[in-house]
Amino acid sequence: MRCLSLLALATVMLLAGPPLAGTTAVAQEAPILLVAHPDVNTRQLKRDTTRAIFAMRQRTWPDGQAVRVFVLDNNHPVHARFAKEQLAVYPHQLQLAWDRMVFSGTGQAPDRVRDQAEMRERIATTPGALGYLEREYLDDRVQVISME
Amino acid sequence: MIVSKSFRWSDSRSMTAMAAALALGLGLSGQVHSDEGVLDTLQVHGFLSQALIITDDNNFFGPSSEDEGSFKFTEIGANASLRPHEDVLLAAQVLSRRAGGDGSDATPKLDYGLIDYQMLSDQQRTFGIQLGRIKNPFGFYNQTRDVAFTRPSILLPQSIYFDRTRSLALTGDGVTFYLEERLPQGVIRGQVGMGIPQAEDDLRQTLRLDSIPGSLDPEQSAIGQVRYEHDGGRIVAALSAASAKVHFDSKAPGLNDGDFYFKPWVFSLQYNQELWSLTAEYALRRSGLENFNNPRLNFDTTGESWYLQYTRRFLDDWQWLVRYDSLVNDRSDRSGKEFEASTGGALPAHSQFADDITLGLQWTPHPRLLLAGEYHHVDGTGWLPVQDNPDPSETSRRWNMLLFQLSLRF
Repeated sequence: MRCLSLLALATVMLLAGPPLAGTTAVAQEAPILLVAHPDVNTRQLKRDTTRAIFAMRQRTWPDGQAVRVFVLDNNHPVHARFAKEQLAVYPHQLQLAWDRMVFSGTGQAPDRVRDQAEMRERIATTPGALGYLEREYLDDRVQVISME
Repeated sequence: MIVSKSFRWSDSRSMTAMAAALALGLGLSGQVHSDEGVLDTLQVHGFLSQALIITDDNNFFGPSSEDEGSFKFTEIGANASLRPHEDVLLAAQVLSRRAGGDGSDATPKLDYGLIDYQMLSDQQRTFGIQLGRIKNPFGFYNQTRDVAFTRPSILLPQSIYFDRTRSLALTGDGVTFYLEERLPQGVIRGQVGMGIPQAEDDLRQTLRLDSIPGSLDPEQSAIGQVRYEHDGGRIVAALSAASAKVHFDSKAPGLNDGDFYFKPWVFSLQYNQELWSLTAEYALRRSGLENFNNPRLNFDTTGESWYLQYTRRFLDDWQWLVRYDSLVNDRSDRSGKEFEASTGGALPAHSQFADDITLGLQWTPHPRLLLAGEYHHVDGTGWLPVQDNPDPSETSRRWNMLLFQLSLRF
């Protein structure tokens, strides 16, 4: 009996919650681009592969080169947009995925950078690096990877 | 580094597992790319959690029903990982955990120590093998069950992640294969492992073999999990199964050796939105003792566990949770009355089930700091630790528990 009333309670809370995922105010902004070290041979990544790499489950580029993943802080708006728009995951899911990897011995955490200028610098100077940037931060020391 | 302190290893198997992992790692490190130093890939992480537990009746993790409660729930861990080669990951973690008991329980142990060789990784799939001491992929939470930052609440739902026989479920010393296959709609991931589990005093106490001279020797066991993540993890479903075996080597006169088996199945389902998650897990746990010449020791029962949990994030760094969690030790005796009768009334019926309503709150004011509080109202003592309540007839059926926890990590 108590199980049932609890189920009912949970259902009510689900339905009564404020509108969810309705935060599409940023839809007009330019997309955030996937960016890599210039020596990386891969030109194109599938979204699933990109997600596996950013979730730190896949440790190499498709051609076998080691990948080094760079990310901004979880609460950086560009990180949140990249996760949601390009990877179709929520930042808190990514963080939990990293924590589970790091504390079970199945993977490593990505490298954190403070801002997009540092992101560009680290990607340009780290072989196998993968990260993301807004278009205005691009320069010729990094290459853009297209995503299917 | 922090992990360079010398630890007293809990048993020689830890050493063997570590040595094997290191030897393999060193063997492969000869092929390191020259353009990136291996030490650049070194990562060190750790965590520390301290809880305060207050109960009105019954004791949980120490003398929680006395005076100001129990502070005897402490978890401290540190790990290091390294990529000596692009396909290879070396990782090890040392864990000190005290959950009631005396201080010696906090002796640091090798939590995991493994070498992971990802032999195939392309756009479509990854395939790899792990050797060493490996955390068991059991349900959603088992692999990182001791790390507060990966838990939705201070205590995981005890019906499935109970602490009474945690040593058995925690890790295996052996080999695991994993495969991740990317499908048009989602990702499917499978893991199969074979290895020797741990069997420590918790298991012996729970089986009530602690008064019989002898020893528990874990034997080759197996675990497998299939997990499907739909649409970037909006829907996650998993099926886990295990078969663990432990041999009891009797030293008691007139009693021969016996065997313990544990064969759980867990079905897991989760729905994720940006601000909330709904999680449910259901487990069938078959376990028993067999082959003893004293038939009163042998048993074979199937227990049932399930929970339904709703978590909601708010104000950026807060989360609240509500959960209903239910356990029965024997599906054919849900009320425990037959069990009580079979013991002549010595052991109460309420020791055979537990229904737990939990309300929890978490606050993460900084990425490295987590503060949590939660309230449990429990009907039954099915997962109450035996070591904290040595006399089951003195336990109360209905009890309340309040927990507070501070966690740090780096």
